[in-house]
Amino acid sequence: MQDGTSARQEIALRTGGRGRRPDSARLRRLNILVGALSLPLFVGLWELVSRSGAVNMVLFPPPTVVAAAVLEWIRSGQFLGDLLASLFRVTTGFIVGGVLGILLGILTGQFPVMSSLLSPLFHILRPIPPIAFVPIVILWFGLSEAGKLFLVVWGVFFTVWLSTHIGVQKVDRGLIRAALMLGTPRRQMLQEIVLLGALPYIVVGLRTAVSISFYTLVAAELAGTFAGIVYRIEIAQQNLQTGQVMGGLAALGLVSFIADRLFSALAERTVWWR
Amino acid sequence: MKLALASSPASVESAPKQPAIQVSNLSIVFDSNRGQTIAVDRVSFDVAPGEFVCIAGPSGCGKSTLLNTIAGLEVPFEGDILVEGSRVYSPRPDVGMVFQQPHLFPWKSVRRNIAHGPRMLGKSRTEANAIADDLIAMVGLKRFADAYPNTLSGGMQQRVAIARALANQPRVLLMDEPFGALDAQTRAVMQDNLLELRDRIKATIVFVTHDIDEAIVLADRVLIMSAGPGRILREVAVKLPRPRSSYVMVEPTYLSLKKDCLDVIRAEGLRAFNQSDAS
Repeated sequence: MQDGTSARQEIALRTGGRGRRPDSARLRRLNILVGALSLPLFVGLWELVSRSGAVNMVLFPPPTVVAAAVLEWIRSGQFLGDLLASLFRVTTGFIVGGVLGILLGILTGQFPVMSSLLSPLFHILRPIPPIAFVPIVILWFGLSEAGKLFLVVWGVFFTVWLSTHIGVQKVDRGLIRAALMLGTPRRQMLQEIVLLGALPYIVVGLRTAVSISFYTLVAAELAGTFAGIVYRIEIAQQNLQTGQVMGGLAALGLVSFIADRLFSALAERTVWWR
Repeated sequence: MKLALASSPASVESAPKQPAIQVSNLSIVFDSNRGQTIAVDRVSFDVAPGEFVCIAGPSGCGKSTLLNTIAGLEVPFEGDILVEGSRVYSPRPDVGMVFQQPHLFPWKSVRRNIAHGPRMLGKSRTEANAIADDLIAMVGLKRFADAYPNTLSGGMQQRVAIARALANQPRVLLMDEPFGALDAQTRAVMQDNLLELRDRIKATIVFVTHDIDEAIVLADRVLIMSAGPGRILREVAVKLPRPRSSYVMVEPTYLSLKKDCLDVIRAEGLRAFNQSDAS
């Protein structure tokens, strides 16, 4: 830079007068624009196809009809009842399954005897999809809330158990040695090192379990109930209210999406040292 | 206080030359899938109080295993280890350890990492933090007292690990290739820091390294080990003046010491090579 050009000029000279920044900025702006157009484009196309006469409008209603059905759902007051019923099932199932999963995961992760006792059983039960339990759950619990809770707990438990178990096992042995050298008593190792070391894994397991609790909710509400978003979808299907069905699906997607986002925001705070 | 002053010379007289560490006839055996492997074979040595001993040897010679056994993290197959006159069964707070990796608790700030040891020994949070703050100043990390380990460089992390090991005021400090993972420049700075620190703390230090230069720069005495099984080949007394810095490396005495060490290592390397060739 002996000739007195500034760094920016130098870069401009070397790249033949075109800096690379303006190009990448233009590209980024284009991407944002396309991203903003994605949903409206999709909805518009849907509206056009539905009304074009190429498909049966009763089975494939346009977005405007779906929106009207959703508004009616909300206005009638049924939506709030359905939402609360579904949220209650998901939340209690998530909490009960999560707590059980964490406790047993610590137990099997930390104590080899417990692992030998329980892991084979859990590994056999874990791959059975919770939906497959619907028939026997109806036999056991009838149409009660306990049956719904059982299904959600079942789905959440194994995910959280496995991630906690792995998390506890994967705690850096070096940290435990360092803690031992600093006079940490073995009985305090769990609270001082193991739990915090496993926390990132536990949080990942819990986050996966959020979506799983919604999957199992579907099975639970199809198993027979009197309120709930999935229940409403099923009733609407029986009455051929396709707009209501699609509105229900959208509501379920939205609730599940919000739950996942809330949990990931919470998770970031839980693992505070990252 | 008076009592302590009156009694301390007496205790020194009663055991005038008790070594800080006595390793006698120590063997360490590992179970592997090819049967048993002798990691350390009948090793004996003493370390005087306040002495700085380096154990140098090729990787896989059992020097880390030896150190872990002195720390009480591993169990000897046969032989004895006495630290400050009492047998080592398990880790104890008067023996501090710095590992090759810093192994800092990622969820604790620098201050709380260092305060961990004193807290575990029953000190109040205020006391423990005061100890930590003194050590933070000593290792020159005042600006980073509240930082989390993942925001620090490797050298800074290792300084925290050293401060953390010193927080319990150990009589013996064991260091297992603590600078092995650092780049050459940081390593030289860390060696000088350690030499400086060493003049302020009174701990006996056993330092394991595979770097013969590092061993000579730091130590009062270098124990050279051979591999497979680990044995002590030679003891080299390093009579270089203290206070010392890495600049001793340009002195003629240093070079002749290094030559002694290299001769031993070379002869051993040749022997091992011929042996493997013959078999």
